[in-house]
Amino acid sequence: MNIAVYTLSALLVPFLLIGFVQKAKAQLQNRVGASVLQPFFNIFKLFGKNQIISEDSSGLFRAGILVNFCCFAYLIWSVPWLSFSPAISSVDIFLFVYLLATARFFSILSALDTGSPFGAFAGSREATLSFLVEPAMILSLVAPSILTGSSSLERIFSFTHQVSSQNPIVWIFAGISLFLVALTDLSRMPVDDPTTHLELTMVHEAMTIEASGRNLALSEIGYAFKLAMFFGLSVQCLLHGIAFCLPSDQWILLAMSIAGIFSLGLLLALLETVLVKLKWTKCPDFIAYSLTMGLFACIAALGVRA
Amino acid sequence: MTQEVLILSSFLIPLLGAIVCVFFQSSRYSGKIAAGSCLLTFVFLSISLFPFLSDFKNVILLPLGLRCEKLQALFLLLTSLVVTLALMQSDIYFEKELKQENTNQKHIAWFYFFSLLFLLSMMFVFVCDNLGALWISIEATSLLSAGLVYFSRSKHAVEATWKYLIICSVGIAFALLGTIFIFSSSQYGAIEGGSLYASQLKAVSENLQPLLLKLGFIFCLVGYGTKAGVFPLHSWLPDAHSEAPAPASAMLSASLLNCALYAIYRILDLTTNSACGKSCHEVCLWAGVITVIAAALFLVKQHGLKRLWAYSSIENVGLMMVAIGFGSAPIFFLQALNHSIVKVSLFCTAGNIIQLFGTKEISHINGLLRRSPLDAVLLLAGAMAVTGTPPFGTFISEWMLLSLSFERRYILVAVLIFIALTIAFVAVSYHVGRTLVGGKIELLSDTVSIKNSVIPSLLILASVALCFLIRPDILGVLK
Amino acid sequence: MISFSPFMFSFLQAIILASAIMAILMVGTGQIRSNIMFYSLQTLCLALSACFCAAIEHELKHYIVALAIFFVKTIGLSTFLFWITKRIGAAKDLGLYLPLPIAMHLSVVLLVFAQILSNQLPHLNHLQPLAIGGTAGISLILTGILFMLTRRLAISQVLGFLTMENGIFLFALTQSSGMPLFIEMGIFLDVFVAVMISGLIIFKIKHSFEHIDVTLLTSLRD
Repeated sequence: MNIAVYTLSALLVPFLLIGFVQKAKAQLQNRVGASVLQPFFNIFKLFGKNQIISEDSSGLFRAGILVNFCCFAYLIWSVPWLSFSPAISSVDIFLFVYLLATARFFSILSALDTGSPFGAFAGSREATLSFLVEPAMILSLVAPSILTGSSSLERIFSFTHQVSSQNPIVWIFAGISLFLVALTDLSRMPVDDPTTHLELTMVHEAMTIEASGRNLALSEIGYAFKLAMFFGLSVQCLLHGIAFCLPSDQWILLAMSIAGIFSLGLLLALLETVLVKLKWTKCPDFIAYSLTMGLFACIAALGVRA
Repeated sequence: MTQEVLILSSFLIPLLGAIVCVFFQSSRYSGKIAAGSCLLTFVFLSISLFPFLSDFKNVILLPLGLRCEKLQALFLLLTSLVVTLALMQSDIYFEKELKQENTNQKHIAWFYFFSLLFLLSMMFVFVCDNLGALWISIEATSLLSAGLVYFSRSKHAVEATWKYLIICSVGIAFALLGTIFIFSSSQYGAIEGGSLYASQLKAVSENLQPLLLKLGFIFCLVGYGTKAGVFPLHSWLPDAHSEAPAPASAMLSASLLNCALYAIYRILDLTTNSACGKSCHEVCLWAGVITVIAAALFLVKQHGLKRLWAYSSIENVGLMMVAIGFGSAPIFFLQALNHSIVKVSLFCTAGNIIQLFGTKEISHINGLLRRSPLDAVLLLAGAMAVTGTPPFGTFISEWMLLSLSFERRYILVAVLIFIALTIAFVAVSYHVGRTLVGGKIELLSDTVSIKNSVIPSLLILASVALCFLIRPDILGVLK
Repeated sequence: MISFSPFMFSFLQAIILASAIMAILMVGTGQIRSNIMFYSLQTLCLALSACFCAAIEHELKHYIVALAIFFVKTIGLSTFLFWITKRIGAAKDLGLYLPLPIAMHLSVVLLVFAQILSNQLPHLNHLQPLAIGGTAGISLILTGILFMLTRRLAISQVLGFLTMENGIFLFALTQSSGMPLFIEMGIFLDVFVAVMISGLIIFKIKHSFEHIDVTLLTSLRD
């Protein structure tokens, strides 16, 4: 039963989330917008399409996209981004971070492999952003791990330990930090505008510019998984923050987790409506805030342990 | 009873005077009104306080928790006297400025307004028993005197005002923190619920929490020390003194610094009976010594006439800090008295000379002896007096300070101060000497009129008189 | 270590801490408008914590102080500073010595330092749960100083000073059950007047120098 529900939500929530964010954004901007189910249609469409691969590219291009997809497919099944135990196995926070890095490394390789100048631009930007954001990501995961004394993600987000119920501040800062990290890592609004199609300024979209058909579908699925996973982890942090006033029934927690993910989606849509994209050189200033939040969380966690 | 009424009414006079000055902004008499109300304040205070000084009772209690002891009474008299003289001089000073069209009647009226309120806030410093109220009054003195520094509205004046305001405000903020520490230190069993009244704190000073008291003193030293120009927090002082008009510089140097030093004295006095008393006194003492040495070294390389006197004020502040560090109120007051009297005279003379030559740069002021012999003599006498040469009053107080440090077996302090005083004497003599002689021989019709030099000359004479009047037994009165 | 311990953690502590955090976040941006916003939020947290203290200690004076903070600082001074910023056209502070993100991280380190310092101080028994106020207060003071040191514009100096002053207030509120009311009001008046006068002087600096970069005010030298 658990596995079935988990699989179902892993297959549905990521795409619905993307569709929901697009719909909400459209509504906020006084547009009708595509249906919430549009990402599903897109992916079916892409699978049905022919793919064109640059003649100059080597096998690395396809391999990179595949590795990228596999990493995220593994992570979505093993990271506790919903309130229950994952179906396959537990992941350590460092494995999590390194798998993300591996996925990114291969997607950058495949972007470089085609020899397209835009891909190289985007690859370099992606590398810079992830380099800047990684400390914040690690700190925001380390803080709850200090609190719970374990580095396994499953143990950290298990709602069982006594301490978790009395340390809202650690969890809340970690959650905020993870959300800010997600905005940067997924190239969302203040850092990158996913709706512009000017390749000179884009980060994520330009990375996949050479991919088409099935390849594009795979990277889109990977992206959706990543989005859901980050938002899910962030929601888990926030839920742990208010765990002392939550019921312990797992279905209610699941519903709250999913509702939380979608409300972060709404927040994202809101942010993307009111914010403007930052100048590239100003991005580090923004990322610094996620690092600061991570630092707060860590200090607070250390304070509790001491 | 009449005594209290007189003291309280002397607080009202500057306030009324200030209002009148602003009300008749454009009249030519604002200067006379201001000087008159200051004089009246001084007279009221003299009538009420002189009998008190030789009286057997120790304290006058005023309403609103204000109180006045003998030391405070003396400082009240000194402050009001200094401001009175400075304002009398400024009436003459501004007459010439108006003639040269450097300013206008309205600005002058505001100047008097700020001066009178400044006097009022300084008077409050001395009668506040509450340390919080002391802080408020001292912050008020900075805010009100900012209006004096800003007087000429030139680029330099704006810059000096900004630095003065921001450095002093930040410094004073530390003093507030220190005050809170002291307040907090009284809540550990000394007084139920804590107290900010210095007289109450003094009575229970053995029971104050020593760590908090010490922190409180150190923060207050930093805070009020900024205001007093203790090295290395003095950076605002030369700028503000050199950019303010001469009478305002005189007020800043001769009364404002005393207020800040008095605040330090007040706080240090609380620690006397406490466990941390000795170390606090040492800190204050050495801060004073370092200030004296630093100021003496700064004096060597000065280019502006008023900056020179500003640094000499810092030097004297250092000496007073040493006296405070020794816990000797009488020497502190004597040094303050002598320094204030000479400084008012010096700044007023400097103002006359600067008006005559149109510049503050020492290198551009030459041949003063030929152009204006009286001012030259006054400048020379003032310079001698301010560096502690006999036969001027400062000699006596500095002599007392040195002999006290020998008595207390602080030989190093005495030696260091002596060396610093020597350097300061050489430096000041060199700079003043350069202005007296030299220059081109040219006949200029423009001279300093005799009435500009009346107050400075009287003050120099007063300083000479003090040299002969002060006897060691006068210290007994204060104790 | 008391401050972050699980049992003490109440809403009041969160609010007290929030004011320190707002100050730290203020260090991270060079936009003057956001700085003022963060200042305003910081004073709002202060006003709220004064309210809570009043409720805990049953002291009327804290309510009055809280109201005064809210109207004078959160609304009054912020509006005044916004107005100055707009009139002068100062949008951004480029910072001095340190890049702004690094300064922000440094101020987080200062928060830890403040915690260590405040642990050295004795605490009154009945104020033990408010020990975190000492940390937050010292942190605000240090952050204010850091803010003043790493900024160029005159208006930022005023903000740094105000942050420092907030720290002192918070310290007084939590470490010594607050100063007597009339002293508190006098301090308010002084700070208010100081900011007004600084505002006027900033106008004059802009008028005379055509900029408000205080690091360029170097004409008065020895």
